[in-house]
Amino acid sequence: MNAPPLALYLVAGVAYAVHFGTRSASSGRIATVSLVFGVLVHTFVIGMQTMQVGHVPLVGTTGAISAFVWFLGLAYLYTEMTTDERAMGIFIVPLMIFLQLIPAISNSVATRPPVLESRWFEIHVFSLLVAYATFALACVISVTYVLLFKELKAKHPGVFYARLPSLQVLDTMNGRAVTFGWVFLTLGLAVGAIWLIQVQPGAADPRVQAMSLLDPKIFIVLLCWVVYTFSLYARRSFGWGGRRAAWLSTVGFAILMLNFVPIGYFGTSSHNFY
Amino acid sequence: MHLFLLGASHHSAPVELRERIDFARRGTPEALAEIVEVAGVSEAVVLSTCNRAEIYAHSEVLEPVGEALAGFMSAFHDVPEPELAPHLYRRQGADAARHLFRVVAGLDSLVVGEPQILGQVKDAFAVASERGFTGAALNRLFHTSFTVGKRVRNETGLGEGAVSVSYAAISLARKIFGELEGRRALVVGAGEMAELTATHLRSQNVGRIGVANRSAGRAATLAAKVDGVAVPWGEITTELTTTDIVLTATGAPRWLLTRSQVAEAMQPRRDRPLFMIDIGLPRDVEPSASDVEQVFLYNIDDLQSIVRENLARRQTQVDRAELMVREEVDGFMRWLRSRGAVPTVVALRRHFERTRQQELERLKPKLASLPASARARVDEVTRLLVEKLLSSPTEQLKAAPDEEAVAADADTLGRLFGLGEHADAARRRAPRHRESAGTAERASAVRNR
Repeated sequence: MNAPPLALYLVAGVAYAVHFGTRSASSGRIATVSLVFGVLVHTFVIGMQTMQVGHVPLVGTTGAISAFVWFLGLAYLYTEMTTDERAMGIFIVPLMIFLQLIPAISNSVATRPPVLESRWFEIHVFSLLVAYATFALACVISVTYVLLFKELKAKHPGVFYARLPSLQVLDTMNGRAVTFGWVFLTLGLAVGAIWLIQVQPGAADPRVQAMSLLDPKIFIVLLCWVVYTFSLYARRSFGWGGRRAAWLSTVGFAILMLNFVPIGYFGTSSHNFY
Repeated sequence: MHLFLLGASHHSAPVELRERIDFARRGTPEALAEIVEVAGVSEAVVLSTCNRAEIYAHSEVLEPVGEALAGFMSAFHDVPEPELAPHLYRRQGADAARHLFRVVAGLDSLVVGEPQILGQVKDAFAVASERGFTGAALNRLFHTSFTVGKRVRNETGLGEGAVSVSYAAISLARKIFGELEGRRALVVGAGEMAELTATHLRSQNVGRIGVANRSAGRAATLAAKVDGVAVPWGEITTELTTTDIVLTATGAPRWLLTRSQVAEAMQPRRDRPLFMIDIGLPRDVEPSASDVEQVFLYNIDDLQSIVRENLARRQTQVDRAELMVREEVDGFMRWLRSRGAVPTVVALRRHFERTRQQELERLKPKLASLPASARARVDEVTRLLVEKLLSSPTEQLKAAPDEEAVAADADTLGRLFGLGEHADAARRRAPRHRESAGTAERASAVRNR
């Protein structure tokens, strides 16, 4: 069921690459339109799965990945349409394609164990996915910042010089995205903790019992929170912007992805709701 | 239906002569008023910029127009003809159209692809058309040229990349800071380049331009020119801590700013970038200052190599632009030729219509007994018959490949159908917005259709 949006994302990915290379207006339009369609079809798929199992398919890493890709598509389209910048599509869409491969292949929708039947759980997952999508954008913005920075330092304006907005704009966008993502990350973690306090005493589910700071998934996401919190604090207090902020943003997201996919599948004993 | 161009540009005439034939001195409208009095000219546009002075004219007759325009140019500007003639170029028909399209595309400019020319041509056309000096031919010619200009700019990279050192510096600054509005700049030294760049910065609405010079007087002079503030020579390093863009252009034999000075100035700035443009020879800023985080240091060679690359890149786009020009010239000339056939088409149609009316008149007594609906039917059928008979000849006439073919067609049809007098009558009936005794006879039905 997750294959049709994947196909459209592939088309969009190719079109963004062509657009990046040629900067022709028509390839840019094709890219945006196919991405919009991809997200629409993806919305439909998630809607169908919701009807099928009776709840939004956020249980289990596979469902969460699909929802994350969907959020990322929306967040990127929002950025593209408000800034009229298409150059970042070439970085975002491949990430979407790569992640969407997982739900497209496994294709099953996890059923929800009774312990997760809670508003808190939904807010927890929703907030974290919004945070992840925003951090993904911040990461891509940061990567492009560093690339443009290098060109300008090397006194050899080229590919990125011609295609990207100014360093200042990229830095501001990164700062805003990190702030926005941090708010949702904090909210998601806080809600998760509240939920855990409520259910852990009476829950027999071993996964709920395994939820502690020692669980890799929980430990590493807290590490991410520290990285992003530090990034915001450093920007405010010692003026860390530009390249330093870009690196922090990139590192933060790299850890986040590591936590989301490999650890989500293989490393955690508390969050393995397949 | 003939198109003429007479002009001089930076390719053909030195600046001393271009100054003397600048239409702006005596006024373009005055020149236009005189040009349309030149024998044969029915429409005219004058394009006058600092790099070119050109007259585009449309005429029904071919022969004397080129000569007459050259005579006008010499008389209007009071430059003797023998002195002017070697610097003038003349083009006709497709060549004239091609020239205009290349000009608008920026292909004929001193700096290939420069953007101002499109606006200048638009202004020149507006001056002529608002005063009624243009008709169908030049309207079409110029509107097509605007399309060419837009296509070339949108579909090729001909106009991309800064091609002057000062503009390259501004583009770099914009790539670092985004909008330059409200940014602070510091100009150290004076001289032409410093002034030029400072003027560019001013036009970008930079917030404050500080000017420092060893001579306080010169600093004050340049500061006044660019609406800036004079900064005492000893306060340059202090000024660095709050400035975003620094331009140095002194002739100092030693580093004006060393790496450690720059690094120190960056301390309170934290991660706010500093863009340094060092156009001094020898250089004013120690090159290793470039290694300091968030310092972007460009010297004159760096800027010049950017300019060279941009120029080379523009050159690669020339062929694509020329191809677009060629396509548009072909399209325009097809249209112009089809216009040439219009008087013949009109005369032919009039002839057929008159014959039809005469026959209907002749048959009137016989048709009188028929009911009104049947009479209307007869009228309809004969009209459709004429339409049908003429549809293919009309198409063929308009598709004539060149002017000779148009003339030959007109001759043959005139002979076969006795059109001569009707064609003349058609011409006379056509209204003309600028009646003048000598040219009224030449007015064609074509121009105002």
